[in-house]
Amino acid sequence: MKFNLITRFSLCLCVLLGANAYAEVAVIVSANNTNASIDADTLSRIFLGKASNFPDGNQAIPVDQTEGATARESFNEKVLGKNSSQLKAYWSRLIFTGKGTPPKESGSDADVKALVANNPNLIGYIDSSAVDGSVKVLYSF
Amino acid sequence: MLRIKPTLLAVAVLASAQASASDDDLRINGFMSVGVGMLSTDDIAVSGFDTDANFSTDTVIALQISKQINETTSATTQLVSRGSEEYDTNATWAYISYAINNDTDVRVGRLRTPFFYYSDFLEVGYAYNWVRPPEEVYRLDAFSSVNGIDVTHRFSMGSTDGSVQTYFGRVNAPYTIGDEKYEFEAKNISGIVLNLNRGNFGTRLSYHRTDLYADLDPAGSRTLDSLLAAATSYGRGDDFDISGQTAQFMGAAGTWDNGEYAFVAEYTALRQETESVLDDNAFLLTGAKRFGTTTVHATYTSKRDLIEGDAIQKNLKKMAQLHKQAYILGARYDYDTGTAFKFELQYQDEKTVQGTDGESGMLYSAAIDLVF
Repeated sequence: MKFNLITRFSLCLCVLLGANAYAEVAVIVSANNTNASIDADTLSRIFLGKASNFPDGNQAIPVDQTEGATARESFNEKVLGKNSSQLKAYWSRLIFTGKGTPPKESGSDADVKALVANNPNLIGYIDSSAVDGSVKVLYSF
Repeated sequence: MLRIKPTLLAVAVLASAQASASDDDLRINGFMSVGVGMLSTDDIAVSGFDTDANFSTDTVIALQISKQINETTSATTQLVSRGSEEYDTNATWAYISYAINNDTDVRVGRLRTPFFYYSDFLEVGYAYNWVRPPEEVYRLDAFSSVNGIDVTHRFSMGSTDGSVQTYFGRVNAPYTIGDEKYEFEAKNISGIVLNLNRGNFGTRLSYHRTDLYADLDPAGSRTLDSLLAAATSYGRGDDFDISGQTAQFMGAAGTWDNGEYAFVAEYTALRQETESVLDDNAFLLTGAKRFGTTTVHATYTSKRDLIEGDAIQKNLKKMAQLHKQAYILGARYDYDTGTAFKFELQYQDEKTVQGTDGESGMLYSAAIDLVF
C-alpha cells in the first residue's frame, strides 16, 4: 500500500515535471472518427506514407503543420524519430519516383484543427491547449 | 557559372511557375547538384574525371512536374539537364500513373529501370550521402531509363511494410566508349523487385532479363567488331554476336538505419549469353554515422569481370577483363532543410584493366546538393 502511494506520487511528479519541460502535443482526428486510439508505430507509418489506413480500416490522410512550427518539430522528433533534414532526404527518395508525397502543409494549430474537424479521414497534431469538442485525441506526447 | 541552354527545361520552369499560382493539383519539385572532382593521376579512370578540376560530370539540374488529373490518374515528367551532356535536357521520367486501388499503381511511359537500391533516386544527390553512387556497382548507365509499363503493389504484414514492382518494356541504349559508338537495344526487358521494411531493417531483391541486340559488324573497326571478326575466324562468330541473346541481372541489398547509424550492403551480378559482353559481379558495403547536422561515411566497393568458357573464349575475354575496387571516405553537412554540402576522398585501385595490371590513385570530390 505504502509502495503503491509512493509510486503514484512519483508518477504525478514526473507528469508535472514533464508538462513543465515542453508543451504537450495531441494527435487529433474528427469527433466523428470511430477510432478510439492509435499506437505510435501506426501513427509514424501513416505520416511516413507507409500505411494509409486507420486501425478500423478507414482511409487515413495525414496533415502537417507549417515547417518550423513547434508542434511539428516536436512531432517529427518524438513520433517519427527524424530531424527535418532526415525527413527531407526521406521524402526526396519518394517524391522524385512518384512513389509518395509528404503530408500536405496545412498551417497552424487552428488551421489543422478546423480541417480535421470537418473530415473524418484526416489526422493531424496540435498543441494540447488548442483541443476542443470538435476533435478527438487519439494519442498525446 | 553554369551555362544552361534556353531549352525545354527553361520553358517548363516559366510555364509551371505561372500555372502553380492558380492550380492546386499541380506539384513542382526539383533538385540540383553542383559538383567538382579531380584525380591525382591520369593513370586511372573514374566517371570521366581527369587531373584538372572538372565541374560538369557531377552537375545536374532537374525539374519534376506532376499533375493530378483526377482521383486515380496523374501525369509526371522529370526533366534533367546534365553537365556531362552539355546541359541538354532529357526526360528521365515521363509517365501516366493510374491507381487501380489504394495499394496498386500502374505507370505507363518512360521510367527508371529499377536495377539498383538507389535507382529510383539515382541523380537526387540530396537523398544519399555520397557525391555520386559508386560506379563499380552503379553501372549499366545506358540502360537506366526504360520505355514501358510497370505495376507496383504495396502491402503490410503486421509491422512489416513491403512492395512488389514488376515491369516490361524496351530500352534503346546508345553507348559510347572512348571514340566508339554502339547502338545497343534491350528488347522485352522485364523484371521484378521485392522491397521489405521492418523497423530499422530493409531488404531489396530484384531480377531482370532482356533480349540484347547491338549493331555489331565483323567488317567494322570498333573493338567489339574486331572481336566478332576474330571469333568468326575461329568459327565462333555466333558466340560473340549480340543479336537477341539473353542478358540477366540480379541484385540483393540489405539496409539498417536507426537515425544515428546507417548501413547498406548491395550485391549485383550481370550474366550474359553472348560472349562479347563479360559477366561480372559487383558489390558495395557502406556505413555512416550521424553527428547532428554532420554525417561521416565510409564505403568499400568492388567489380570483377568473370573469365569463363573454353580456351578460345578465355583468351579473347581476357583482352577486355576489368577488376577494380575503391575505398571512399566522405562527410556530408546539412546546411539547412534541403541543402547539403559534401566532401569525399576516393582511393581507386584498378587491379586489372583489359587483361593487364592496373594503376591506383585518388579522386577528390566536393558537391552542393539541393532539393526544392
